[in-house]
Amino acid sequence: MTAAVPAHTARRAFDKKALVPWLFLAPGLLLALVFKFWPMAKGIWLSFFHVRPFLGNEWTGLDNYTRVLTDHRFQEAIGHTLILGIGQAVGAILLGFALALLLEGQARSLKFLRTAVFLPAVTATAVVGELWRLMYYPTSDGLINSGLHFFGLGTVQFLDNPNIALYSTMAMGIWIWAPYNMVIFLAGLAGVDRSLYEAAAMDGVSLWQRLRYVTLPAIRSALMIVLTLATIRGLRVFTEVYVLTGGGPAGSTDVWMTRAYTLGFTRNDIGGASAASVVLLCVTLLLTVTVNHFRKRGEAR
Amino acid sequence: MGVRRRRHRLAAAGTVAGLMFATAACGSGSGSAGSSDPNTLEVWTRSNPDDAATYDRVFAAFTRKTGIRIDYQPVINFDQQLQSRASTRDLPDVMINDTALMGSYQSQGLLKPVDPASIAGGDRITAKSWSSTVGVDGKHYGIPYSRQAQTLMIRKDWLKKLGLKAPTTWQEMLSVAKAFATEDPDGDGKADTYGIVAPASAQNGYAAMWGSSFLWQGGAEIIKPDGKGKYTPAMDSAAAVHAVTWMKDNLFCGEKGVVQPGAITAVTGTATNFQDGNAGMYMTGPYNITTYDTTPGRKTYEVVPAPAGPAGGDVLADGENVYLGARTGKDRQELALASFLVSPEGQRIAMTSVDGHQPVVRIPVNTTLDAAKVRNDPRWSVVQKAYETASEQFPNAPDFAPIKQDTADALNSIFTYCGGDVRSQLKELNDTLAGDLKDQDLLK
Repeated sequence: MTAAVPAHTARRAFDKKALVPWLFLAPGLLLALVFKFWPMAKGIWLSFFHVRPFLGNEWTGLDNYTRVLTDHRFQEAIGHTLILGIGQAVGAILLGFALALLLEGQARSLKFLRTAVFLPAVTATAVVGELWRLMYYPTSDGLINSGLHFFGLGTVQFLDNPNIALYSTMAMGIWIWAPYNMVIFLAGLAGVDRSLYEAAAMDGVSLWQRLRYVTLPAIRSALMIVLTLATIRGLRVFTEVYVLTGGGPAGSTDVWMTRAYTLGFTRNDIGGASAASVVLLCVTLLLTVTVNHFRKRGEAR
Repeated sequence: MGVRRRRHRLAAAGTVAGLMFATAACGSGSGSAGSSDPNTLEVWTRSNPDDAATYDRVFAAFTRKTGIRIDYQPVINFDQQLQSRASTRDLPDVMINDTALMGSYQSQGLLKPVDPASIAGGDRITAKSWSSTVGVDGKHYGIPYSRQAQTLMIRKDWLKKLGLKAPTTWQEMLSVAKAFATEDPDGDGKADTYGIVAPASAQNGYAAMWGSSFLWQGGAEIIKPDGKGKYTPAMDSAAAVHAVTWMKDNLFCGEKGVVQPGAITAVTGTATNFQDGNAGMYMTGPYNITTYDTTPGRKTYEVVPAPAGPAGGDVLADGENVYLGARTGKDRQELALASFLVSPEGQRIAMTSVDGHQPVVRIPVNTTLDAAKVRNDPRWSVVQKAYETASEQFPNAPDFAPIKQDTADALNSIFTYCGGDVRSQLKELNDTLAGDLKDQDLLK
């Protein structure tokens, strides 16, 4: 009898302890449930229907998926999404890493510079898009073209030439996301053991060798986080393209999300747009799991 | 210590409860207090804050007159928001939006049918306007509210400086455009002026909207009704090939500066060159008159009928209808609002600009009103005449949204790739349009 009392008290204490984290998590979970998981589940459900809320949805099975995957505009959009996603991810990672190396340190001036460099990441993408559209203005009145003009070069149709519009969009994406990556890299670099650098310096290794054998292995976790985020971001790229080119000219910058948007909100084909979004969700999940798998394998080694 | 911890816990619990309450409130979506009140109508218009200020005056006058309150929501991304609301089966009571969207809304079952006889003063709306609210089943699904037709806005100071006249034909327009681009009409010594403003992006179907006037002036049609409720695609006609080839060769792939730089990625919001003072002509709707009177300035430009093509001078007519959301159960209040909106009083308030805000009725649908007289501005008679005598509308009965988007995609592509073969590209478009019509069971 006497032994039962402490056991009961311990269980009560355990229950309370277990409840507190859930209480703190509750708002976030509830928000996620209402604004993320429920719409996601509904989107998956709608992807099997010809959606007509007021006339009754018609079950169409996999028709929406077949239609989306065989549509040549979507097929072209896959290519554009991959080029843009990979280019933007690699570019933003390289530039972010370079910025992190340049701006690492405790000096006050560096803090100011880091804040200035980080600004694009906290500015609304739509606003950045508008600014870049002006910078890309296809005459010598445009900021970038006036620079080219100054060096005696001709004007470039950054957004109106279908052969380079996608790369112009990519440049803007790199500019936006590099500072974001920079911050994660800075956090990773802060954890690098300084004595390793000193030892390397004493051994007389080159800068490249220091990067290759000291810095990169030490920031592997940060690199994996950046890579995962960049992959997801690259696949679901939308605002940059929508603001800058609207998918044009002649669909040369159309990506998966702009196609899905056009299908859903210009052509009012919610079932088709849902199917397109579900396909994107599956691909994103697959890629995230793959990146995670390689990260774990790398860590195990 | 224990007391402090308890306080912290209380504060945490309070925060959680507050957030949960806020979340629940957000989650209730549109269930605002107003929408459940039988004497309050939730009204949506596709408007920016400037237009909304005019609508506020209109709805305030209605509430004063009838006691029916209006929960007014100006919505910029109207279609996106409407689809979201439709998915929850909770539509606004009344919507004011483009005429060409009626078929799209009706095909989704979003609209309540309307009996024209139930609208007080409905007999003062012309048959032409009422005809634009008839759906595929022959019933009316909207009440005409505002009408407009495109006209040519042209810099008269530039014409005067170069000794030119406002063009009346395509060829004259091209000559004027070239002169505006090359003869330094603003006199600043730089080659920084352009002939014509063209919002020719495929985004939201702009290329089709802007290009449609040229198609009609060239004798082309996008789809043709057979008079028995079916349609055939018509973009492979000789007239369409000629009109599109003319546009491509002369405006987009001809001499530089005839259209503004960046035209093939421009939408109306970004095609601001006329307003910026570096382009001399813009074929557009009269809603821009208020804006252009400020910049580039009323004295600098004039409003003239669109130059005629080989088949005439027809331009795109458009406008807004009042739509009643399906299954709202507020019929009496909705019909009262619709009747007020088309009454001389309602139309007059909406046609008047106060504090420089944009009027929301362009050409009145009420035949007792004259746009030029109400505004004391003769330029509006040019617009009214264009609407009444030389305009065409997109077919409203079918779901025109996919047809417009496919046409815009094709036109944008043709204007982008100057080496392409227009005939085969339009043939391909025609096949796509046939598919769109077949999807709607409207293909002849």
